Amino acid sequence: MHELSIAQEIYRTSRAAVAAHGPGHLERVKVAVGELTAIEPDLLTFAWEALTGGGPDAGSVLDVEWHPARQFCAACNADKPRAQGTWLRLCPDCGQTLQVTGGQELDVLQVAFLPDGAGGETEGGNGRDG
Amino acid sequence: MAQVAKRKGGTVAMAEVVDVRARVLAANEEAAARLRKTFSESGALVLNLISSPGSGKTTLLEATVRALGGRLRLAGIEGDIATERDADRLRALGIPAVQILTGGACHLDARQVRKVVDEAHFPGFDILFIENVGNLICPTSYDLGEDFKVALLSVTEGDDKPFKYPAIFARAEVTVVTKVDLLPYVSFDLAAVREQLAALNPTGKVVLTSARTGEGIPGWCTLLEQRLAVKRKAMA
Ligand SMILES: Nc1nc2c(ncn2[C@@H]2O[C@H](COP(=O)(O)OP(=O)(O)O)[C@@H](O)[C@H]2O)c(=O)[nH]1
Ligand SMILES: [Mg+2]
Ligand SMILES: [Zn+2]
Repeated sequence: MHELSIAQEIYRTSRAAVAAHGPGHLERVKVAVGELTAIEPDLLTFAWEALTGGGPDAGSVLDVEWHPARQFCAACNADKPRAQGTWLRLCPDCGQTLQVTGGQELDVLQVAFLPDGAGGETEGGNGRDG
Repeated sequence: MAQVAKRKGGTVAMAEVVDVRARVLAANEEAAARLRKTFSESGALVLNLISSPGSGKTTLLEATVRALGGRLRLAGIEGDIATERDADRLRALGIPAVQILTGGACHLDARQVRKVVDEAHFPGFDILFIENVGNLICPTSYDLGEDFKVALLSVTEGDDKPFKYPAIFARAEVTVVTKVDLLPYVSFDLAAVREQLAALNPTGKVVLTSARTGEGIPGWCTLLEQRLAVKRKAMA
């Protein structure tokens, strides 16, 4: 459920980005997803396929860039490595309480699309840039 | 804008690449920002209560209404997949309450709350409680314009939950450990829970309550009144 509503928001944002450049079909959408959003990358791509399937953007690829949460020790002024999905209570080096930083990302980074009528030898050359 | 050559239908098509850099939940965040503005103009304290189903959100609100209802104007927004039951429970205690039926969605969205606040006219309330859909995961990502999130963890759910669901416990300014009257009957290591919460959320507050015995309810109510006073003072 969650992933589906997130996929819908990603789709809306991506479509709007394409529309700003004229008609076209989505090819690939790159998103950043942080561990603390509790979004499962696989479920998100399944939701994307279900959402776009059968429509004009069927076959487009959702590319998920995963950002693990970081655990930071203010005393050591350093991130402390941990295995994914596990949490440290205290800094293994100095015993201070660690803080959770990072891992909140949930952004559409980049959209690749095929403009309608594109293909062929000539380039539009109308000076658009991103 | 970059371009990437791509074979399609025998000709070479050019895929165009646009950098977007947009928050996925931008529409929700915009609605939440508008709500937050509305709430700070009216000086209302707004809480977003998040927990698993059955942790005791509605029961805590009932106890809160009994304790504070005479002194403060309270209101509730209840999020559920189906039924008006929770809103009925609050209305039975004499406070205005609106049910949002999400029809399957696992969280409340700021746009739904916005609609209720625009239409429901809770005239000048002091504290608005938003009880989210029972779920420890999804509601965490959706800002509802609240002053702070409250996570509830009942002692029957197990003492490993903060590390299992780090996002909500890292973000909730207050964690309420509920049903402490049941502590003698379950193995629930309160110290371990406190340690996990301290790691995830060093500045968070932990409150222990039992709606059954009334333990901790006065302290919880004091916290609410203090937070309301701070908000009102900031306005003045
Ligand atoms: N023993 C005990 N039971 C409680 C307490 N608070 C709630 N309950 C029970 O837990 C169940 C679920 O409570 P409810 O408030 O509906 O949970 P919600 O789904 O989070 O709103 C009900 O049967 C309540 O009577 C408590 O402090 N002690
Ligand atoms: Mg309830
Ligand atoms: Zn350290």
